[in-house]
Amino acid sequence: MLSNRETAPGHFHMVLGLPVPIADPVPGQFVMVRMPDRLDPLLARPLGIYGFSRQAGEARLELLYRVAGKGTALLSGLSTGRVLQVLGPLGRGFRIVPELRTVILVAGGIGIAPLTFLAEHYRGLPAVVEGREIVCYVGARCSEALVGLERMEALCSRVVVTTDDGTCGACGIVTEPLGLDLPSFRPGATVIYACGPGAMLRCLADMLRESPVPCQVSVEERMACGLGACLGCAVAIRSGENALSYVRVCKEGPVFDIHELDWK
Amino acid sequence: MNSTGNRPPSLAVSIGGLTLKNPVMPASGTFGYGEEYAPFADLNRLGAVVTKGISLLPRAGNPPPRIMETPAGMLNAVGLQNVGVRAFVAEKLPYLRQHDVPVIVNIFGEAVDEYAAVAEILSRAGGVHALEVNISCPNVKKGGIAFGARPESAAEVTAAVRGNTDLPVIVKLTPNVTDIVEIALAVESAGAHALSLINTLLGMSIDVERRVPHLQNITGGLSGPAVRPVAVRMVWQVAGRVKVPVIGVGGIVDSASALEFLIAGARAVQVGTGQFVNPRMTLDVIEGIEAYLERHGMKDVQDLIGSLQCTSAR
Ligand SMILES: Cc1cc2nc3c(=O)[nH]c(=O)nc-3n(C[C@H](O)[C@H](O)[C@H](O)COP(=O)(O)OP(=O)(O)OC[C@H]3O[C@@H](n4cnc5c(N)ncnc54)[C@H](O)[C@@H]3O)c2cc1C
Ligand SMILES: Cc1cc2nc3c(=O)[nH]c(=O)nc-3n(C[C@H](O)[C@H](O)[C@H](O)COP(=O)(O)O)c2cc1C
Ligand code: FES
Repeated sequence: MLSNRETAPGHFHMVLGLPVPIADPVPGQFVMVRMPDRLDPLLARPLGIYGFSRQAGEARLELLYRVAGKGTALLSGLSTGRVLQVLGPLGRGFRIVPELRTVILVAGGIGIAPLTFLAEHYRGLPAVVEGREIVCYVGARCSEALVGLERMEALCSRVVVTTDDGTCGACGIVTEPLGLDLPSFRPGATVIYACGPGAMLRCLADMLRESPVPCQVSVEERMACGLGACLGCAVAIRSGENALSYVRVCKEGPVFDIHELDWK
Repeated sequence: MNSTGNRPPSLAVSIGGLTLKNPVMPASGTFGYGEEYAPFADLNRLGAVVTKGISLLPRAGNPPPRIMETPAGMLNAVGLQNVGVRAFVAEKLPYLRQHDVPVIVNIFGEAVDEYAAVAEILSRAGGVHALEVNISCPNVKKGGIAFGARPESAAEVTAAVRGNTDLPVIVKLTPNVTDIVEIALAVESAGAHALSLINTLLGMSIDVERRVPHLQNITGGLSGPAVRPVAVRMVWQVAGRVKVPVIGVGGIVDSASALEFLIAGARAVQVGTGQFVNPRMTLDVIEGIEAYLERHGMKDVQDLIGSLQCTSAR
């Protein structure tokens, strides 16, 4: 571990140096992180990839995480130099569509982490289209829980902020300003990417039910193996009339087409 | 050759006529159908591969959340999701056949004839080396009590599977019983070639803030280091009473925990939850057992099996 800094109360930015070669991660992919010297917590924790770079042969992995319980609390207490067990990159990330003009990002809370990496990726793409705009709608509980805003602002053409309590940006939930702008998006030229709490994604799914604008969401579920072997991370998808089946967030996901998932 | 110029100790064991190059295999349900862990643990180095439980028809499994971490363990209620025996044979088995490793297929059913039917299909499939019969499932025709909870129904399933296959039959016992020895003896008399134990312990955990169970299914199976002492005790009790080989399962997270089972009398071990902790756990355990044998001057893992030093009665 190269650094582990608290960027907002209860939110940490961690940089890891990777001694073994790994494949270039796709935005939306995740890693399973564990403290190798402990059996409590027992299982590795899934964390999205916030940034990735190669410098002088060494790969650097960035994570942005919120202290949510025992595992992340212990992680936040670790200091530079500690060795962590990192498995990844895992899962299927966001599908990139280089020829689209408008990229819309919808981030709830810590959901901004994989979307920042995605914005960076779009920024780095060769210019297939002229004047591509990246617009990000960011929502958080309060101004203190708004993490990673500066970095996102540097990558986007426009950032719209909402907080539940109105301490920063507009007061309300992030889907409100998005809903207002939705009619102005050109269906064939726009893609929406979203990551955030279940309630936000459900609201988004509702809002986009009749919309022709495609939307990819990154969802969370508890994980044990992260590799597709234990079937612990299942989420329901709609498969035909009333029929439900389950897919693995760690393997078929964590990114899905919003209409593929069953939001009930 | 090792550093002292001696031959490395022999790790080979035999289970129901099947020879394993070492006594370490993954536990059913924690290894998928083999492909997921292959990048971390070369399947050819394992004693055997044990696949996720297979039923006659595909099963969707339980609604999420399906898992929850608990102190030194985890609860799962996956609900025996699987692709069904026909898709298994058509889509999953070909991959496993490419390897030089015995394939043990875990099977289950909701009725005795379902177990028998799955056993028959797998016996004719080719590339299956043994069946492991999960008798922890509820018997739908008998009010949902697990087959493995009563000696009579456990024996009935065992006999039905035996009658429909020429493959070695390993019966996997549930720990959720009053007297595991009684079940083990009943299954042995019904013709089991080997026993594996333990399956998960029935458990539950609650989110106290919201006052709801952590699992959608309410209860789930407990696994991981938390169950190991229970598993070691049961293996020791059963191994002392049956003549067929016993495979020890439950909470193995390093070679020391695997050694406990072997010393208690298990002829082989399975690693389940431990693989989630470290995807190359099976190989670490194999290497650790070998190092232990060398350190103790033992030439063969057989010298270790059941070597518990204790004077008081079982
Ligand atoms: C694909 C994916 C990407 C993620 N990316 C990020 C990220 O970039 N930054 C970040 O802060 N968080 C992220 N999360 C959520 C993060 O995994 C959980 O907050 C974390 O596991 C909580 O662990 P804990 O020990 O602190 O909490 P505890 O509540 O003590 O954890 C108990 C158990 O529940 C699981 N769990 C609890 N909350 C979640 C959750 N929301 N999602 C999945 N499992 C959970 C834990 O893994 C653990 O097994 C991601 C989750 C997934 C599935
Ligand atoms: C996620 C999960 C799925 C499991 N699925 C099966 C299964 O399909 N059939 C079976 O016989 N046992 C199944 N088990 C039980 C394990 O094979 C093993 O008996 C148990 O977990 C105890 O070992 P462990 O502590 O090493 O995990 C499953 C366990 C877990 C954790
Ligand atoms: S976490 Fe094991 S299958 Fe997804």
